[in-house]
Amino acid sequence: MEHSLFSKPKELFIDVVNPRDYIQIDSVSHMYQNLKASVQKPLKMILLYGRPGTGKSMLLHKLHHDLSKHQKVFMIDIPIIDENDFLRVLAQKIYGYVNREAITLTTFLELASAVNYPQTPIVLLDEAQLYSTALMEKIRLISDARALKFVITLHKTDDEDIIAKEHFQTRIWESIELQNASPEELKIYIQKKLLKSNCFDVANMINDKNIKIISRLTKGNYRDANKLMFSLFSLYAWFEEHHPSKINYNSLKPKYIEMAAIHTGLIHA
Amino acid sequence: MLNIPSLERRWLKYKIKSYFPYILFSLLTVILIIVTTIFIHLEKSNKQTSPILVKQKAKDIILQPKDISPEIILEPSMQFIETMTSTVSQSTTPSVSIPVFPPKKVVIVQKIAPISPPAKISTNVITPPSLITPAIKSTTQPSSIKRDTATFDIHEIEDRFKNNSNPHLGLYIARYHYDHGNYNEAYNYALKTNSINNTIEESWLIFAKAMVKLGKIDQAKKTLQLYISQSNSDAARNLLDSFEKDVPK
Ligand SMILES: Nc1ncnc2c1ncn2[C@@H]1O[C@H](COP(=O)(O)OP(=O)(O)OP(=O)(O)O)[C@@H](O)[C@H]1O
Ligand SMILES: [Mg+2]
Repeated sequence: MEHSLFSKPKELFIDVVNPRDYIQIDSVSHMYQNLKASVQKPLKMILLYGRPGTGKSMLLHKLHHDLSKHQKVFMIDIPIIDENDFLRVLAQKIYGYVNREAITLTTFLELASAVNYPQTPIVLLDEAQLYSTALMEKIRLISDARALKFVITLHKTDDEDIIAKEHFQTRIWESIELQNASPEELKIYIQKKLLKSNCFDVANMINDKNIKIISRLTKGNYRDANKLMFSLFSLYAWFEEHHPSKINYNSLKPKYIEMAAIHTGLIHA
Repeated sequence: MLNIPSLERRWLKYKIKSYFPYILFSLLTVILIIVTTIFIHLEKSNKQTSPILVKQKAKDIILQPKDISPEIILEPSMQFIETMTSTVSQSTTPSVSIPVFPPKKVVIVQKIAPISPPAKISTNVITPPSLITPAIKSTTQPSSIKRDTATFDIHEIEDRFKNNSNPHLGLYIARYHYDHGNYNEAYNYALKTNSINNTIEESWLIFAKAMVKLGKIDQAKKTLQLYISQSNSDAARNLLDSFEKDVPK
């Protein structure tokens, strides 16, 4: 399996968020530039929202990666739901204030004014839909006091429109919506991912018709595309080991794409 | 972790399921096309038979003035065609119940029907009597009817004839018996047919030929002469000529 042509491509599509794997896609890059510019503006809080798997966490990680070279940035990718813990962790990570006890908002703001940063430190909160209304209110007060700047991500589902919730409705939010990829964007995403890791042979196998099928099955969702490509290359690795004659190295077989889609649950069969 | 064989099975099931509406649709389309072509064909062949019937009636009218003696009304007629076509288009003889043939064979008969009657109409051209019988036999129509008769009992038709006295059925039975060498029966049924409708040429011919077969050559000649005098039938004259030479086979 080590020498399989498909084992590396397979690993490329494991669903993890690593800023080094970030792929430049025109529309996303444009959004990312907007995001970076917004971060430098005073006062406003930034809201990144979109359906699951549209790349919000990826963009947040990328932002963290890029900003941390120049300024104080702290990222909470796993939400800290408890209000006391939240303030305590922030005080420790940003101001180096270590305390076992819970701290009040007033203490926190005093701390903030005591420590002087050349630029307002930035806090990145992933999965903000999990924070309580009370905690969101505190976050807003901290932001109003210009103590910290927040960028948060929210995921929007059909069942619940969190953006409609009251605490995200205030004018201080600058919101950016992320969307599923178009077929062209999906093609760029898959091709670039493969080429970045020198998987030229496999990249050459993917033609526009294949992309069309993949795009139709995943609706351009990055996470679904990852899952589909992962099981597709697993399938190819299996055939390479057991029935190499069945592999056509000129293009991906629609049948195998559909089989992978059945395996990942994108097709109910 | 990947169970490829089961995945392939599921994929096949999915494919069949997703193509099912298309398969069903194209199947229905094909059936529809077949049904409409058959229907159009039926309509056409029905329309083609009707002009012949009109012609035949016209000829009947022309021949009317030839009814001289009121006792023996002998008249040439093309109604034997009706016998043949009546098995196809029931509209010609609505009162008659027609032997039911398998639909597939009906289609064959219909296809041929428009061809054979004109051939019979043109018997004005002198045809040797020995050719008359083969002519009837060679037209695929009677033979196809014969093929049908093999599948059912002639007695059934005889019973039906007894009940409704349809001359076409009578002629049919007479022809059947003559072809099967039952000259007595052929004679009887031709006689019965003539008594119901004395204008059926073929019935007279069978009647005469059966008489010859039964050894009543003189009587056969006399009958034919009488018929010729009333009908001016060429076929009858040819048959009579052949009697003069020798006995028909
Ligand atoms: N620009 C990109 N470059 C490389 N990978 C990307 C990019 N955008 C998305 N992905 C990949 O798509 C997958 C899903 O993206 P991500 O986890 O950021 O979605 P999300 O919007 O945070 O979803 P959720 O709302 O469920 O948290 C990730 O594995 C990530 O690697
Ligand atoms: Mg996420």
